[in-house]
Amino acid sequence: MSYVRVDQLTKRFGENTVFDAIEFTIEQGEFVTLLGPSGCGKSTLLRSLAGLNSVDGGVITVDGDDITHLAPQQRGIGMVFQSYALFPNMTVFDNIAFGLKMKKLTAGKIAEEVTKVISLVDLQGKEQHYPHQLSGGQSQRVALARALVVRPRILLLDEPLSALDAKIRKRLRQQIRDIQKELNLTTIFVTHDQEEAMIMSDRIFLMNRGEIVQQGTPESIYTHPVNEFVAGFMGHYNLVDAKHAKRLFNIDTQWKVAIRPESIYVKEVGRQYGTHISVPQQGIIKNHQLLGNIIRYNVAIQECELTVDLLNRSSERLLAAGTPLELLFNLNEIQPVSA
Amino acid sequence: MQNANQSFHKTVVYSIVGLMMIPIIATFVYSIASSWGATILPDGFTLKWYVTLLSDERFLQAFGRSLFICFSTLALSVLLIMPVIFVVYYYFPKLDKFMNVLILLPFAVPPVVSSVGLLQLYADSDIQLVGTPWILMGTYFTIALPFMYRAISNSFASINLHDLMDAAHLLGASTPQAFLLVILPNLKKGLLASLFLSFSFLLGEFVFANMLVGTRYETLQIYLYNMRQTSGHFTSALVMTYFFFIFLLTWLATRFSRGAQS
Repeated sequence: MSYVRVDQLTKRFGENTVFDAIEFTIEQGEFVTLLGPSGCGKSTLLRSLAGLNSVDGGVITVDGDDITHLAPQQRGIGMVFQSYALFPNMTVFDNIAFGLKMKKLTAGKIAEEVTKVISLVDLQGKEQHYPHQLSGGQSQRVALARALVVRPRILLLDEPLSALDAKIRKRLRQQIRDIQKELNLTTIFVTHDQEEAMIMSDRIFLMNRGEIVQQGTPESIYTHPVNEFVAGFMGHYNLVDAKHAKRLFNIDTQWKVAIRPESIYVKEVGRQYGTHISVPQQGIIKNHQLLGNIIRYNVAIQECELTVDLLNRSSERLLAAGTPLELLFNLNEIQPVSA
Repeated sequence: MQNANQSFHKTVVYSIVGLMMIPIIATFVYSIASSWGATILPDGFTLKWYVTLLSDERFLQAFGRSLFICFSTLALSVLLIMPVIFVVYYYFPKLDKFMNVLILLPFAVPPVVSSVGLLQLYADSDIQLVGTPWILMGTYFTIALPFMYRAISNSFASINLHDLMDAAHLLGASTPQAFLLVILPNLKKGLLASLFLSFSFLLGEFVFANMLVGTRYETLQIYLYNMRQTSGHFTSALVMTYFFFIFLLTWLATRFSRGAQS
């Protein structure tokens, strides 16, 4: 029996169906990410789980309890918002203590619990600060502590890192993941950033237009996209249509085929390649982008254009536009994807 | 260049302020002059006008009545406007545009016109309202409404109302608890500033007070009007006392609104 079970969940805003008959299950202690472009319904789904949105049908159960129609106060769910939503009139200590005060715990017990969670999120010494005195990263850690201190059954994170700058984001996502593992907390994370999703999650639910298009481990979603949308959203897949797939790779399919840019080899003279790496193709470099550790080449093979990622090993090996080259492909990495 | 520019600005500003200060200063000097007739400067200085004024039972009563009406009006306004704005912002955000038009209506009708209208409306009423302080409170509520609504709704707009309410709900607070513990404290500064502004405005209101109530319930402004035949020094002292009170309030209001910004 799964810890969280969502069955046939449906939400409409007037005529507009946000999601229809969504189903999934989450195990206890699992870190699941709802990933998708903006407007795909992932935030609405999260808010429905929290009880901040009503739903138009379906059942949500947590640990066997039906919580579909409970008020948010009774669900035992903690949530962290993109905007932090810290109470501006309260200090860090009072913000974190708020949930415990609502539970009418004694002052001594509250102080004890708050102190514990403050050291968990590494905010010692900030207890008497007000939210406007904190940086973005600190604010979001206060918000996390405030959600954790009441020991929720599920933790919901609604794009908590989107308002932070890159460096803090990297540190905080690691910190969130560490805390989640330490507490073995069932967590649902919402983001539109596929890199964030892959780094943090046990499983990813990839959503598009109110549907879960594909679910699975980051590895399986990245390497085996089920359709064009997933291939387009995860990484920078090359999509080659059926006609070219037949001619270049001799693959018979009615669908487009997806090829990861980093799975393509540029043939080097004197190097031996395994037998699975074959199908040589002559191409010409059209241009390139330097991404830092990776150089992304656009290579034209006849009228077909492919993106090829190479490691930026040395600046002398940068290939200029117009350079002819021979590409090799791993046929196992070329897969048809449905529309 | 910039210095010259700045000193020009300063000259302009200080000249205008100085010009506007002349009547106030003149009134003040007159109020502390023993007599000031055919000479450039007063004959002598005295505080007796202030002593007479502050020991006049009728003045103190009028002042008390004005304060009573202002405070009751503002209490009524807060009690009615606060929940309305909360409901508008939290449940029906689309209504905000409509409310913005609605609250400007009291400004659209000149006081003389609306007071005549009110007189006609309530003259034949079964409940005796005209001539009582209650009709004044009701009318003053409509005057204070635009100030209060604007200021409070600005405060609402400056906080992240929905996320704060959601966060409080998820932490176990009921909607009234969330409103009282989380939302209200964040509106306090805007609310206080708007209260002070409305207060000084209402304290100086004369047209409605004169038309609707008059001498039957003598407020400060009516008292001032009735005293117009007495010594000019005395009325100057009265005006200065009133000014001082308003200055004090305005200063408090700006202090509070400055606090709200930081």
